[in-house]
Amino acid sequence: MSFVSFSFFLKRISKNKFEIILILPLALFVFGFTIGPIIQAIMMSFEGIFGGNFPTLASYSYIVHHHYFKAALFNTIFITGVGLSLELIFGMILALILSEKFFGRGIFRAVMLLPLGIPTIVSASNMAFIFSTQGFLNELLYRIGLIEVPIDWRVGTIKPLMTIVVADMWKVTPLVMLILLAGLESIDKQLYEAAKVDGAGRWHRFRHITLPLLKPYITMALVIRGIDAFRIFELPLVMAGRHVPVMSSYAYFEYVERNNPYTSAAGATILLIMIIIAISVYLKAVGTEEVTR
Amino acid sequence: MKKYKIFLTLLVIFFGILMISPVYFMVKISISQPQDIFTQHPTFLIHNTTAKWWRWIFSTKEVWAPFIKSLEVATLTALFSLAIAVPGSYAISRLPLKVRYPLVLGLFFTRMFPEVGIALPISVNFIKWGLLDSVLGLVIAHMIRILPLVTWILVGTFETVPKVLEEASSIDGCSRLGTLRRIVIPLAAPGIAVGTIFAWLGSWEEFTYAVYLTLAKRTLPLQVFYYINRGNWFLTATYATLTAIPVIIITYAMQKYLRAGYMAGAVKG
Amino acid sequence: MDDKKMVKPLSLFLIFCLVVSALGCIGEKETPAPTTAAPEKTVLSISMSLTEEEWKVMREDIFPKFEEDYNCKIESYEVAAGDLPKKLESMVKAGKMEIDVFAQDNMQLAILVQKGLVEDLSAYESMIPDEVIDALIEAGRFNGKLYFMPYRPNVQITYYNEAKFKEYGLSPPTNWDELLDVAKTFKEKEGVGRVLLKGAGGAPTTCQMYEFIVSAGGDPLEFNDEGCIRTFEYLQKLWPYLSPDSKTAKWDTTNTYIAQESAYLAQNWPFGVPIIVKDYGKTEVKTYHGFSGPVREAHVIGGEVLGIPKGSPHKELALKFIEYMQSKEVQEILASKLAWPSIRTDATGKVEDWMKPYYESILEAMKYGIFRKNVPYWTEFDKLFNDAFEEIVINGKPVKETLDKYHDEMEKVKENYGG
Repeated sequence: MSFVSFSFFLKRISKNKFEIILILPLALFVFGFTIGPIIQAIMMSFEGIFGGNFPTLASYSYIVHHHYFKAALFNTIFITGVGLSLELIFGMILALILSEKFFGRGIFRAVMLLPLGIPTIVSASNMAFIFSTQGFLNELLYRIGLIEVPIDWRVGTIKPLMTIVVADMWKVTPLVMLILLAGLESIDKQLYEAAKVDGAGRWHRFRHITLPLLKPYITMALVIRGIDAFRIFELPLVMAGRHVPVMSSYAYFEYVERNNPYTSAAGATILLIMIIIAISVYLKAVGTEEVTR
Repeated sequence: MKKYKIFLTLLVIFFGILMISPVYFMVKISISQPQDIFTQHPTFLIHNTTAKWWRWIFSTKEVWAPFIKSLEVATLTALFSLAIAVPGSYAISRLPLKVRYPLVLGLFFTRMFPEVGIALPISVNFIKWGLLDSVLGLVIAHMIRILPLVTWILVGTFETVPKVLEEASSIDGCSRLGTLRRIVIPLAAPGIAVGTIFAWLGSWEEFTYAVYLTLAKRTLPLQVFYYINRGNWFLTATYATLTAIPVIIITYAMQKYLRAGYMAGAVKG
Repeated sequence: MDDKKMVKPLSLFLIFCLVVSALGCIGEKETPAPTTAAPEKTVLSISMSLTEEEWKVMREDIFPKFEEDYNCKIESYEVAAGDLPKKLESMVKAGKMEIDVFAQDNMQLAILVQKGLVEDLSAYESMIPDEVIDALIEAGRFNGKLYFMPYRPNVQITYYNEAKFKEYGLSPPTNWDELLDVAKTFKEKEGVGRVLLKGAGGAPTTCQMYEFIVSAGGDPLEFNDEGCIRTFEYLQKLWPYLSPDSKTAKWDTTNTYIAQESAYLAQNWPFGVPIIVKDYGKTEVKTYHGFSGPVREAHVIGGEVLGIPKGSPHKELALKFIEYMQSKEVQEILASKLAWPSIRTDATGKVEDWMKPYYESILEAMKYGIFRKNVPYWTEFDKLFNDAFEEIVINGKPVKETLDKYHDEMEKVKENYGG
């Protein structure tokens, strides 16, 4: 996309010289340090693990046979799918609560925004304290008598993933809430009054007025969050480690712990393709014009 | 109706506790004696307090190097981003809609690139250029993430500055650069301020690039990670609290700017 | 527009940040500044990977004397063992080596030699004192050349929670069968496994498995000899009774799990003793030398060696530093303050009273010391070995077939290295 508009500029050089000079540093930076490295990473993924001839699929065939890669693929999709849905549901509940008037609403809003003030790596460490075998969640469950023996949150397929989903929800549901709240505030109150007069119940009003009018905001939340959910990194890295990988942490471990930049590049490339597919499928389904803002 | 009110109150309390507890535990651990935490049944309330973890990081002076590095990187990232994004986004905002729209969207979609995919070749290159562990290297890396975000905010800001004012000024004989300096930038100052703060914050709490590009001279978020790996909960919690403090303060000070459009890029899961 | 109010505090904030970071910059540069003023004071940069306690001893009890004797200043950095190759490579490629001497885990040396990042120290072999145990010197020799000098041997001891063992009337296991019994008993009594193995992968896992296989009479690099098969079969049997934290247990986190009483029995290096017993106040945690396998008792001699990176700016001084670290004086301080075993036969420290029983167990474990094979393809072996561990022990794949597969892959690697 940038490339098309860039060539479009070239034709207009004489007309917009001033703008071009102003924009040049930005364009150079983005090309040099974002697009460039991405292309380099893709190229690297076709280099051989043992220095074979370029291009080769050696790295790809290595990782698709690596059992942690398959796990990473599944985990990433699971976390994105389940996480996004839950974040949307809870973000909606919170936004609806906040659109009501009640005592202490200001404080509640402030509390809800707390996670936005917590760096992701910090929230990851906090969640690790909570979900550790001798951690606070197990202690809570033990005290209210639900369990005798501490639950091992890292065993099985779904349990560790759910802890990551919960951790991610804690961090980003407030953002989804803010987006949806902005949407709720943009809805004309008279619509509700009119519906009330017609005898429509709470659920009915929500289903037939709120939801359709919120659609652009939901789309925005989904796209923004969807991209980040695919790239989730710190939380699984800290909370689950090597044995429960996602695509990002798989690429990280391949490079940093196993000293293998080529397979790491292959992992990152596959992740990029996943994101592009997911986004374009979604945008095809809902149309692009809603994404701008 | 009454039932609904009670239900609502319960929900509010439930979510309130949920949101606060992780932060509460973090602070609690950072001031707790080991026997409250390192046991099969950790306590929920604060019983045996100690300042030894906080004293440890300050008395051994090990906190200062990461603190200063984080501060340097965040400030330089904010300033450099501003230097590039202000002219760039002004120019974008004055382009015809047909060009502007795909350009802004294109910038936004650079976020689609997985950071581990960008950080990898950057790290490989920086090894060759000797930029690992350096402040400059990390600033460049952070700008990859932050520049699009700042540009995104600033384009929105510059769009609100009426073109009419600029035209009037150029009739008065001001050069375009002069107009930019005297008319546009002062009017856009609040937006620029917000952009700068987000840039600063984004860099202060950044982890992914930092972990790829740092080996010995860690930033604060890496210090947290380091102690997680060391298994020392107390120093982890202490560093985590220290890292979060400025973020919390700034986030609350900026509450009313936490608008969806701005936050879109600022928050990362 | 009351938004304008933002501008002033923001500018103040940014200026403040700039000033502080500028001060930080100057502060950093102040250290080299006297170098130009008083040219005889060189800065020796050292990288090591130590715990907080260990750094404290280094910086307070060991470095100052050297700084005084050689009129220099020591700057020290913490670089994780896994990061060191990259750090050195980065500096070698950029042509500015900022580290003069480094300490590295003796299991992660091959890659440094392979990438040509270290100076050949063969010419200085005579510098090593006669009292240094010969076997320790060999760990630093690759392709007949000496690249690394010993300064710290290490051996894993077994930690156990005495209170809990007493509670269930158990005694620390002395062989594999007893270990399995102990693990089963804990799991039965408490519903959750309390014996910890290091399953997080990487060097901790390899090191522990190496010990297990050798004590079953096998050769880990073969993958599928009788001892290997026996070990993996045993571990598959043991795994369900282990602490769930085994999956994330590394050397560092093992200390935490023992302190948290998530694990009642685990092997680890002695560096955990001051952390668990002193920092976290767990006096009920005791140590002993360990248990034997079906064939023998074996404990891998690990530890650290010193090396000089290619292009080190102060090579002569670095050599002096190595010599200093090998001296009786330093070795005795390390033994008495940190309970480190010594590379010298003549250095026996007077450890503090509370530490004595722990120190005894370290010396006892040293008696069963074995050295792992010093092969150039260690890095590749490490990867394959970890994969095998994950597949068989964690994911429960059949032992024999999986090991055969890895044996074949190992053979391929060996061929790549010319047999």
